[in-house]
Amino acid sequence: MRLSDTLLAAIFLALAAAIFAMTTTFPAFPGQKYGPDLFPRILAAGIAGCCLLIMLRAHGRARAGHAEHWLTIDAALRDPKRLISFLLVPGGIVFYLVAADRLGFIPTAFLLLMGLFIWFGVRLGMALAVAVVATGLMQWFFGTLMRVPLPRGLFMQLLYGG
Amino acid sequence: MSALVAAFGLIFDPFVLMVIAFSAVFGLFVGAMPGLTATMATALLVPVTFFMSPVPALGAIVTATTMAIFAGDIPAAMLRMPGTPASAAYTDESFAMAKKGQLELNLGVNLVFSVVGGLIGVAFLIAGAPLLAEIAINFSSFEYFWLACLGLLCAIMIGTGDPVKGFLSLFIGLAIGCIGIDPAAGFPRFTFGNVDLMSGINFIPTMIGVFAVSELMRGAGSIDEVGHMVQEKVGALFRGIGEVTRKYWRNVIRGSIIGTAIGALPGAGADIAAWVSYAMAKKFSKEPEKFGTGHIEGVVESTSSNNAALGGAWIPALVFGIPGDSITAIVIGVLYMKGMNPGPTVFLQNPQLIYAVFIIFILANLLMLPLGYAAIRGARRLLSVPKNILLPVILLFCIVGSFAMTNSPYGIVLMLIFGVFGWFLEEHGVPVAPLILGLVLGELLESSFMTSMIKSDGSLLGFFNRPIAAVLGVANIAIWAMVLWKAWRGRPAG
Repeated sequence: MRLSDTLLAAIFLALAAAIFAMTTTFPAFPGQKYGPDLFPRILAAGIAGCCLLIMLRAHGRARAGHAEHWLTIDAALRDPKRLISFLLVPGGIVFYLVAADRLGFIPTAFLLLMGLFIWFGVRLGMALAVAVVATGLMQWFFGTLMRVPLPRGLFMQLLYGG
Repeated sequence: MSALVAAFGLIFDPFVLMVIAFSAVFGLFVGAMPGLTATMATALLVPVTFFMSPVPALGAIVTATTMAIFAGDIPAAMLRMPGTPASAAYTDESFAMAKKGQLELNLGVNLVFSVVGGLIGVAFLIAGAPLLAEIAINFSSFEYFWLACLGLLCAIMIGTGDPVKGFLSLFIGLAIGCIGIDPAAGFPRFTFGNVDLMSGINFIPTMIGVFAVSELMRGAGSIDEVGHMVQEKVGALFRGIGEVTRKYWRNVIRGSIIGTAIGALPGAGADIAAWVSYAMAKKFSKEPEKFGTGHIEGVVESTSSNNAALGGAWIPALVFGIPGDSITAIVIGVLYMKGMNPGPTVFLQNPQLIYAVFIIFILANLLMLPLGYAAIRGARRLLSVPKNILLPVILLFCIVGSFAMTNSPYGIVLMLIFGVFGWFLEEHGVPVAPLILGLVLGELLESSFMTSMIKSDGSLLGFFNRPIAAVLGVANIAIWAMVLWKAWRGRPAG
């Protein structure tokens, strides 16, 4: 997926304007004309400058007869199966964020792995074995060895109470 | 001398050696898998090294990256798919050699000259870094400001893409670095009252997002694509190496020196070093017409170059705290986390740690010979690990690793946002390396800028008062002018 250069630059130009607007509320150093607002303002000007240059170039290209489409979607993402595979990566992360606190790390990780394995066509036996081993290894390494407070959720409560 | 002895003591500890051995195998595996890069290996290692003391943590990163850059050459020759971007420059050449029946010679040359290039890069690091540190000890905020600027400028100048988009990425990275408590006045900026944002953007989950998650998104879309593997047995790897050395020793030296220099330039790493060296080999070759047909000369020069670049990149990272490439950008973050602020004072206060880094580099390069040999012998099995099993496991590892950095879902949210954002930027031809460099260098740049402004009472002329600062300042302005000129000239007439 690709937006035209002009549209891309317009989005970041809006971002630069927002950064600049927010800096107006920052206080100055006592006795100085500048403060924490100076550096972000320079950066906002930098972003805006780049965006204007990108727009200017795109305009030049358009005048020379090489106008861009506002939105181009590459062939790979038009194939629904590939699109779903692609979306499953951020989707899997969102699933973990939503489910981990309630279910606990072990069931969430296991379900995430199983779901992805099955979609990507791993044989069921293999998928089951790898999902169990990988989940167990991560719980052992991060949860037990490194003492990372992985979410306990329902699963651990049922197992250990509390 | 006592520091050197202490460094040996730190390294030859069973735990550290075990970490080095594990990271070596990990690096070889990640490097050899197309789609998984050396930078990604480092990003994935950081959550694990977070819990270690500095020496094993640095040992893990140095060893894994050294191995990964070499291992990228294996699938380049066998599948015509570079394992890491650093092997892309000579992938076609390597594959052409494999098709001609010279797979053994190609892999043998890649292994031996990766080791030689790596060792030459380390030699420059050992000789150059302490010397530079002695000069850098006299630097004030003015020099650091100009150095940080120069580092960021180089990152864009040397990058292969559009300089304007490089600058855009850099400014966005610096702006993201502004989120949190400001370094000069302690005022919370762009935090929207959120407590997590007040601690700033934790750069490890950001890095995992930009380098790993975006790569996984791209990989998921093309998971069923399989390369065609060259069917040739790998036997005597080192046959013919002597003759290649006699014929092309100049290429090895030139590749290693150029690799180290490019590595040391902020922002450019092993991949650009390999491209430049390959082009250089062709330009100075007596038989340039043979390039592209399976000719070993370019491979010799660029495979030495990309491994030399690794050592070179550590020079500015250790001496100035300015990363030479995206791997050392991560390393600098790790050093800060360990309370070992990179800069010339580390050479005075913790010389044993600097020596330890040097020793690990030498050890990792020497270890590459036997382990690399084993990896080549087992390559067929290594390359047949299916992507559809690997991808979900890496995704889970990214999630847990990011969580471990903040001990809260905040890390995972950051990783997700920057994963999607990194993918979006790359889709639009905006390089992501300047963004990460901006994020890492943002605080140094701003605090040295604000300190200098206060010292000079708001006068910009104060930035040119000290001799070294003046030279660096003029160099910066000259490069700025050049980049702007290039960007303007790049504009089509209309």
